[in-house]
Amino acid sequence: MAPLDFSVLLRFQDALLTGLLTTLELTLICIVLGCAIGFFVGLARTSDNRILRGVSGFYVEFFRGTPVLIQLFWIFFCLPLLLGTELSNFTSAVIALTLYMGAITSETFRASLRSIGREQYDACVALGLPRWTQTTSVVLPQAVLRAIPTLLSNCISLFKESALVSAVGMTDLMFIGSNISNNTARPVEVLTAVALIYFVIAFPLTRAVTFIEQRILTKLAV
Amino acid sequence: MIDRATAPLVSVSGLQKAYGALQVLQGIDLTMKPGERLVVIGPSGGGKSTLLRVMMGLENINGGSITFAGKPYIHAGATPAKTAIDVQVRRSIGMVFQHYTLFPHLNVLQNLILAPCKVRGEKKSAATERANTLLIRFGLGQKATAFPSQLSGGQKQRVAIARALMLDPKLMLFDEVTSALDPELVGEVEQVILQLARQNMPMMIVTHDMWFAKNIASRVLFCAGGFIVEDGPPEQVLGAPKEERTKDFIDRVFHIRQ
Ligand SMILES: Nc1ncnc2c1ncn2[C@@H]1O[C@H](COP(=O)(O)OP(=O)(O)OP(=O)(O)O)[C@@H](O)[C@H]1O
Ligand SMILES: [Mg+2]
Repeated sequence: MAPLDFSVLLRFQDALLTGLLTTLELTLICIVLGCAIGFFVGLARTSDNRILRGVSGFYVEFFRGTPVLIQLFWIFFCLPLLLGTELSNFTSAVIALTLYMGAITSETFRASLRSIGREQYDACVALGLPRWTQTTSVVLPQAVLRAIPTLLSNCISLFKESALVSAVGMTDLMFIGSNISNNTARPVEVLTAVALIYFVIAFPLTRAVTFIEQRILTKLAV
Repeated sequence: MIDRATAPLVSVSGLQKAYGALQVLQGIDLTMKPGERLVVIGPSGGGKSTLLRVMMGLENINGGSITFAGKPYIHAGATPAKTAIDVQVRRSIGMVFQHYTLFPHLNVLQNLILAPCKVRGEKKSAATERANTLLIRFGLGQKATAFPSQLSGGQKQRVAIARALMLDPKLMLFDEVTSALDPELVGEVEQVILQLARQNMPMMIVTHDMWFAKNIASRVLFCAGGFIVEDGPPEQVLGAPKEERTKDFIDRVFHIRQ
């Protein structure tokens, strides 16, 4: 094996940075949209309405039960055919990862809604709170607080899963990394560096999850 | 004409409650006069909590009805799901539970003013002022901005009582509010309830604490197997019960009879 030469990284640092920014941009957009969808789908799944429960349940199970890669391919190649219009790479990636994120986070919201004990509902009735106040002032704030640690984990997963968009030709960090690696024939240096970039961003967040989780659990302990 | 002083505050007739096949209340008849303080005692599973939960409008019933201050309050329908509960009447009853039920994401003050502001449309400043007065009265003046997780069990229960009082209830229900507490914290909560008793607040109290029962009760009910087995003044039910089952229970649970 040829001696390692990390100077290739310096030559391509701008390209890598652009790739990283694309990855971050894509991840952040899908986090915001996905959490919004997940929140309402989580509510729908705990609702009394059967149709709402059925439709939302099907959506979640479908996206949890199929590989993300096939979801991406389907939205990249099949959706434009069905719609009869072109979709940009970025739009397709946003749609695919948002739907995936929505399904995942809806489970998080659903679990946190269910973790609110019967006592809290009893207290609302005993205080004569109207249903709307019960939902907006008591149930939702607690559910969101409880969801935060798992949501953060969901975000970290999405950040890592987003590397899959390179398979459909989106120029994210992974795509650029593997291109440089192929062109320079220096896979060890380049791919290690790319892995480290993902890790350096994800790791502190993983640690933060543990910390925040403890804080929230202490606060919500009744 | 009805004599206002003796007209019943609560009148329960033929109250039945089942959880599935389990018949928990088997036809309870009970009248409570204004200013009375009913202590409910009895073996575990005898239906004490269920009786209070029904009175609070937390459960559907299978039969019977309850009137409150002369107004129809709860009425059984053809099925439990059809139970009619008057929400306006329900607002004049307050309840404190054995489990802590403060809202953990709100501080003490916010816990107290949530219902007055949202239910009665009271101004925040007015509610806050009343809340602070109550907190000081209950020895919680320093805790207004604390979160429930920062309070001791005894403080939590005192806040829960204050929260219920913010709505000026005409009847208070206490279901074993000191059972989850460390022994040294029981007294401070009981003192607050005794303070309410001195102001003639009508109440129904489920407790296993003999000292407290004796000091607070104007009347004691012994409840077992879904029936009221004995109903009388504390000296009788606690001191010299007429029913064999009451006597057994008191010997067993309250150990020393004085
Ligand atoms: N939500 C419920 N679903 C099914 N059964 C219930 C429910 N709540 C209470 N029960 C049953 O009803 C019976 C009466 O319960 P209840 O809580 O009223 O008794 P209790 O007199 O308060 O007892 P304790 O002294 O243990 O608090 C018990 O057998 C209990 O298991
Ligand atoms: Mg009980």
